[in-house]
Amino acid sequence: MENDVVLSVRDLVVQFTLRGQVLTAIRGASLDLHKGESLAIVGESGSGKSVFTKTFMGMLDKNGSVKSGEILYDGMDLAKFTTEAEWLKIRGRRIAMVFQDPMTALSPLMTVGKQIAETLELHQGLKGRAAKQKAIEILRDVGITDPERRYKQYPHEFSGGMRQRVVIAIAVACNPEILICDEPTTALDVTIQAQILDLLRDLQKRYGLTVIYITHDLGVVASVADRIAVMYAGDIVEIGKADEIFYDARHPYTWALLSSLPQLGERGEDLFAIAGTPPNLFRPVKGDAFAPRNPYALKVDFQYRPPYFDVSPTHKARTWLLDPRAPKVERPKNLDRIREMGGYIHE
Amino acid sequence: MLKYILKRVSSAIVSMFIVITVVFLLMRLMPVEGYFGGRADSMNEENKQKILENMGLLDPWYEQLLNFYDDLIHLDFGRSVTLQPKTPVTKILSKKLPYSVGFGLGAIGISLVLGCSLGVLMARKQHGFWDKLGTGYIVFINAVPPIVYYLLIQISVTAATPLPMLFNAKKPLSYILPLICMALGPTANYAMWIRRYMVDELNRDYIKLARAKGMPNNKIMRKHVMRNAFIPLAQYLPSTILFTISGSIYVEALFSIPGMGGLLINAIQKQDNPVVQAVVLLYAIMGVFGLLLGDIAMAICDPRISLDKKGGSR
Repeated sequence: MENDVVLSVRDLVVQFTLRGQVLTAIRGASLDLHKGESLAIVGESGSGKSVFTKTFMGMLDKNGSVKSGEILYDGMDLAKFTTEAEWLKIRGRRIAMVFQDPMTALSPLMTVGKQIAETLELHQGLKGRAAKQKAIEILRDVGITDPERRYKQYPHEFSGGMRQRVVIAIAVACNPEILICDEPTTALDVTIQAQILDLLRDLQKRYGLTVIYITHDLGVVASVADRIAVMYAGDIVEIGKADEIFYDARHPYTWALLSSLPQLGERGEDLFAIAGTPPNLFRPVKGDAFAPRNPYALKVDFQYRPPYFDVSPTHKARTWLLDPRAPKVERPKNLDRIREMGGYIHE
Repeated sequence: MLKYILKRVSSAIVSMFIVITVVFLLMRLMPVEGYFGGRADSMNEENKQKILENMGLLDPWYEQLLNFYDDLIHLDFGRSVTLQPKTPVTKILSKKLPYSVGFGLGAIGISLVLGCSLGVLMARKQHGFWDKLGTGYIVFINAVPPIVYYLLIQISVTAATPLPMLFNAKKPLSYILPLICMALGPTANYAMWIRRYMVDELNRDYIKLARAKGMPNNKIMRKHVMRNAFIPLAQYLPSTILFTISGSIYVEALFSIPGMGGLLINAIQKQDNPVVQAVVLLYAIMGVFGLLLGDIAMAICDPRISLDKKGGSR
């Protein structure tokens, strides 16, 4: 298990300077990414999911930087990278990214074929006809029919789903090892979402990719993820295999997140919502960041930050509830019904 | 595309027809005393009538108008009556136009190169040295009336260097100062717009994607940002180029360049109808075709714009 780790993040701290104030967006998060797996990072908006993965590609906004921690990848520590030249060896070539909104992710003035060929020219030194041939091949790979004709068209001649296929084509063009999909289906309508997820799964197998999905859509998670990492306030609070998280979650935040699945709601009743708001990351967080919103919070939660407690070799959670001295707390009853929603997880 | 252009040209001809007719009629509403210049008081009624008759101004207005149209169709713009009596209008214009167009194009060329470079430098590092310098320059140019710095340049530079104060067609050195003066304003404007459009583009998602696919920053600037930022300028460039025809009133007066600047005003003051009509027609052509060429330039630069009405295929 340990030797197939492709990317290892250790105690990563990321800070942003905003109007003279310092915001700590990632508060010491750690993560091991295994070769060939698909990992979903879930959490509410602002939990740091995107920022966390952007650090793997040096794509933080100008006012943000890695303050401490390591990102170990292929014998390098990406957290130490400072120059563009260093990142150009990684970006697109080893680690690639698919963005949320395909409508704006492509340059409107360049044919889609050219935009794919550009990547090939950058990383594989392909030129002219060779680059074009390869680009057409990749277009066909991502399920675009009549790729020779489509190669010469501009993004505005493509629908949203088709554009997302092009964005994915650009990402996989250079056989990256890791593919980060930042909310790849959020901007698409539901029928297209399924097609894009199918495509990503298919490409993962074909290209041997390791995929990170960033999403707040638990439906997406259920259909694609081998493992799930739950993020809250800049930290991974629970991580485990998909069924461990769906059926045997231990962190109260994960419970709350799962409870907000509309399928668990009662007809005619309000949908579940987590009370309160996430902590202000401009100030240091004391204890467990989720404690003020946590109905199961213990006194210790407000004092000390919980360590990870292992639930199984593949499953751990950061909550004092798992401490042997903690009172026994039952998870919400409605979560039992996830299992009844047969077929929802892993078709 | 061709159909669209033909349609635009024909509607342009209609608007020019209306413009020229209105101007023609307005000129005929002016008091006749204007045609005699300062000599009106010393002339007797008989002489006045004779002069007016020679100018064809005593015919009924609709006859004058029809004659005017008839001449226009034969590309006859008539002869000047008061500015340079008996000289064909085309001859007056063809003498003046080259100066204005020459200086105008020179100034546009200089300001495009300098303004775009400055704008790019400003956009590359926002709030950096170039950005602050450029902003200062743009604010200065827009806040201070041009005549102030034109005079300043003319007086101080000619005092400090051997550059001549007035324009002389035979001395290339005398071209420098007017060109600089004329380029100062547009340089600031191009820098301002290029910076603004580039900053807009820099924040777009496709720039992020270009970075994520491992494209070096300077290449992103060249291949993506600048191309996209230039489109809005492409629309106005043809108009700007055509409008050099009208010349610069200040600069031409200051350096005594015998260009088009001020010609229209002079002609109106002296009620030189044929000159006014020809110049107005020229300006109307500039206006209408500048916009048309701008639209065509946009369509060429931006594949999203199609001049033919046809639904985009998805």
